[in-house]
Amino acid sequence: MLKLHNLSKFYRTDEVETVALDNVNIEIESGEFVAIMGPSGCGKSTLLNIVGMLDSPSDGDYIFMGENVAGYPESKLSNIRKQNIGFIFQSFNLIDELTVEENIELALLYHNIPAAVRRERVAKVMDKVGIAHRAKHMPSQLSGGQQQRVAVARAVVGDQAMILADEPTGNLDSAHGQEVMEMLQSLNAEGTTIVMVTHSPAHADYARRTINLFDGHVVTENLRAAV
Amino acid sequence: MFQNYVQAALRNILANKVYGLINIVGLAIGLTACILIMLFVRDELSFDRFWAQSDNIYRLHTTFNVPGRQPFVTGSAQGPTKEALKAYFPEEIEYTMRFAQMRPVVKYQNKVFYERVHWVDPEATDIFDLQVVEGDLAVALSDNSSIALNQSFAQKYFGDEVAVGKILTMTTFGVVRDYKVAAVFRDLPHNTVLSFQALTMIDEQDFTHQPDLFSTWFSLNNWVYFTLKPGADISKVNAQLGSFADAAIIAPGAFEEGTKASDIVTYSTMPLTELQLKAPGGREMKPVGDQQTVIIFTSVAGLVLLIACINFTNLATAKSTQRAREVALRKVLGARRRQLIQQFISESVLLATAGLLLAIVFVELLLPYYGQFLDRTLTFSYTGTFGLTMFAGLVALVGLVAGFYPALVLSGFRPAHVLKANRSTETKGSSRLRSGLVILQFSISIALIIATSVVFGQMVYANSKDPGFNKENLLIVRNVSRDGVAEKQQILKDEILRLPGVVAAAYSADAPADGNESNSSVSIPGNPEVGSILIGRQLVDEDFFPSYEIPIIAGRNYNRDFAQDGIPDFSTAKPGEVLNGTLIVNEAALKRLGFGTPNDAIGKIVQIRTGSAGSDASFANLELIGVVADTHFKSLRKLVRPEMYYFVPDGFRNLTVRYTGDPLALLIQIETTWRDLAGDVPFSHSFVDEAMARQYLQEQNLATMLGTFASLAVLVACMGLYGLASFTAERRTREIGIRKVMGARVFDIVRLLVWQFSKPVLVANLIAWPVAAWGMIAWLESFPYRLDTWVLVPLCMIAGGLALAIAWATVGGNAARVARANPIKALRYE
Repeated sequence: MLKLHNLSKFYRTDEVETVALDNVNIEIESGEFVAIMGPSGCGKSTLLNIVGMLDSPSDGDYIFMGENVAGYPESKLSNIRKQNIGFIFQSFNLIDELTVEENIELALLYHNIPAAVRRERVAKVMDKVGIAHRAKHMPSQLSGGQQQRVAVARAVVGDQAMILADEPTGNLDSAHGQEVMEMLQSLNAEGTTIVMVTHSPAHADYARRTINLFDGHVVTENLRAAV
Repeated sequence: MFQNYVQAALRNILANKVYGLINIVGLAIGLTACILIMLFVRDELSFDRFWAQSDNIYRLHTTFNVPGRQPFVTGSAQGPTKEALKAYFPEEIEYTMRFAQMRPVVKYQNKVFYERVHWVDPEATDIFDLQVVEGDLAVALSDNSSIALNQSFAQKYFGDEVAVGKILTMTTFGVVRDYKVAAVFRDLPHNTVLSFQALTMIDEQDFTHQPDLFSTWFSLNNWVYFTLKPGADISKVNAQLGSFADAAIIAPGAFEEGTKASDIVTYSTMPLTELQLKAPGGREMKPVGDQQTVIIFTSVAGLVLLIACINFTNLATAKSTQRAREVALRKVLGARRRQLIQQFISESVLLATAGLLLAIVFVELLLPYYGQFLDRTLTFSYTGTFGLTMFAGLVALVGLVAGFYPALVLSGFRPAHVLKANRSTETKGSSRLRSGLVILQFSISIALIIATSVVFGQMVYANSKDPGFNKENLLIVRNVSRDGVAEKQQILKDEILRLPGVVAAAYSADAPADGNESNSSVSIPGNPEVGSILIGRQLVDEDFFPSYEIPIIAGRNYNRDFAQDGIPDFSTAKPGEVLNGTLIVNEAALKRLGFGTPNDAIGKIVQIRTGSAGSDASFANLELIGVVADTHFKSLRKLVRPEMYYFVPDGFRNLTVRYTGDPLALLIQIETTWRDLAGDVPFSHSFVDEAMARQYLQEQNLATMLGTFASLAVLVACMGLYGLASFTAERRTREIGIRKVMGARVFDIVRLLVWQFSKPVLVANLIAWPVAAWGMIAWLESFPYRLDTWVLVPLCMIAGGLALAIAWATVGGNAARVARANPIKALRYE
């Protein structure tokens, strides 16, 4: 699915250069469920942003589905991103002014899909994550777990091949957290590639592989048998 | 406490520089407009208040109600009213006096000028307290060979020498007389409707050959002022002006049977102090202002300030969520709502004060140009009562209008809610109010753009409308009725016709855009029930129509070879005698006379009469030999006048020259010809197209002022929109980030933000169009000849499109910047 080769990312201010990622080499196959772990500031989120094409690497190659996208301009990245990648954030990032339904539809809005088809797909995915009864509600009327389910629905409604989840359970209590993890797992079972950043070893256990980052380096990779 | 408020306010302004800048600059622009207009209004209201008797001086106004014509309204009165008023109102009226304006040739040693001199009654000294610096004004006005001059006039002729005792020679209506300077008075200030530089006494015996000046009841050549006796009431005079007209006007045979003088002539009075703004129109010593303009400008300046106040309200409420914590904490620490309202109002007052300081800088910079535009010197004293009152008033007004609502919203936050949620969501109400206010701002701006374009359009229309004659390449030579020229008119015309580039030349009494109004009453022999009809009269020679290129629709032009052509010579006519002559009229006159088609009218007879007394009148039967097209010799504010063109040998005041090629070269040649023939008589000329364009100066000034205000309104409104847009973009960063992650392109985001601000502008059009259209249609009504109403449709659409384009340009740049930002920054932090 994707391959990072000697990938580096550094931030420059006037005086200091901060290295966020240093010669990272990672390969992720189609259909994998990968967890990325590491202490705060180790570069997890930077890595996820680069993988999600929200940020570009300073050096190295990023091969996504056979294409080296490392030097691609924003508009081209945006196109690849919207076709293939769904996002789930720790803070859900739903738009407060839109209903549940509209929030999910947003992921299809910029894809030139006819309205009728959009509605149909949104309805289907809402059923799947069990939020259909809340379709007309505003995000502020939902619990955290429900909001994250909406976010998951939004991430998959476009049939994206890969989902990037940035601490999806970070803002949830354990029961809701588990609910979301199970949802991700079942998506993975249907063939969606999932890359997840997490602090929780328990939630990392849902993944088949864990990549540990420390100070911008990959320190270990653990393979685990499917649960 | 107050210091704490000021400190919080200052920090808040400094922390949000764009916000502070928009408010201060916006308010400064609004305040500048208001201050400048207030200076103008104060000046307009100060007119003629400096006279000792300013509250007791009145002017007599006359309106002629001619059947079938618009009433002819004037600020003048007939010469005989001076004595008649005193005689009719012995209990009320104390002094009466007349001003008659003439343009004699004034000579002193080798200085010869054609000057404006006013003939006045000696009572002038009892009514107007002129500041005499030399000599004695009463002496100067006590005989017909003394004169009083203002300082500039004395300076012009005598330099620094003592003027009193010097002799000026003046030629008036052929009479050459020496005038001894008996007094010098200070120049009048600009804030008076009076304007004179030299005064001499009216001796009616000197003008027996010009009965129109002082002795007839059908010429309006005097401004008649009067004062009341102590305790007298002007309303008593006003109530009896109708019976005064009937009693005073003695003109046998001038009225039809059963018609009273008061049916034709209506009098009214106006206090001197109201003349500047309410004078009825017609001739004045200098151009006067008008109330409508003052009201329009005052309201428009107020609207610009309102737009600036709305900016404050909008930005303050939009930003209120950011200050919710401050409010919550103050409340937790014991602040009451009233104190918080005080705090926020102090903040808006502080901003208004900052705006005012900047406005004062703007006013100082603009005042010279503004004065130039208004053609007067305006000064601004900061420490005077007027200045201080105005400052305090404006700051308090702006502070309250702009700050009240935000203060109410801000002080209403509930601390528990704010502190728990750690941020406050805005109420629906205040965001709706904000949209409403943006709509209001743009409604005002769009309406002003429409108004400007209509006024400008009407000016262009009036200027380009076919006046019925060819106004291009026409030069008027003035002063041809002066002694030294009048007797050489034929030679002058022949000489000028010989110059290269001169195509044609014609004499006439009036020239286009002159304000003169002459009428004659005619009757139709054998048709007594028609009675006498008053029709406009122009004196012309046989070259008039060809020179002006006025088409003759039926019949023929005057011809010198026909001895009977024109108005017969009445000088030898016996009382009751009927002479014969010919006449050309325009189409409008034909309608008045009821003569059918132009071709039908040829050969019909009308009768005119000379002399006013019934018994010694003689008559002329005039055969219609031609009908010409209607022409606009006057502003399009007047309807086409029914006109009789009298073909006469003299009485001309203007020589019209049609030319080709370079007018300036020709002018030099004409002036040389003039000097050779006329010697001392000053040469004066004008170009017809320029004179006609000058008639629309008032509209031009209105268009300039409205245009300026419209631009300011749009500018201030856009500043507010910019502030709101940047605030909104800031507030929506997270949403924009999410949308971008979902695949939105920069274009999608820009469209989203721009559309948000297009809505209020589009709605504003729906409000502005009908309001502006209604107002401007009403304004256009005062022009009998005006732009088609449907022109408003494209003008409205253009104004709306312009406003939208400007709004887009304002919002678009900011939106693009926000849309290009990297979305992860917006999403990473909460």
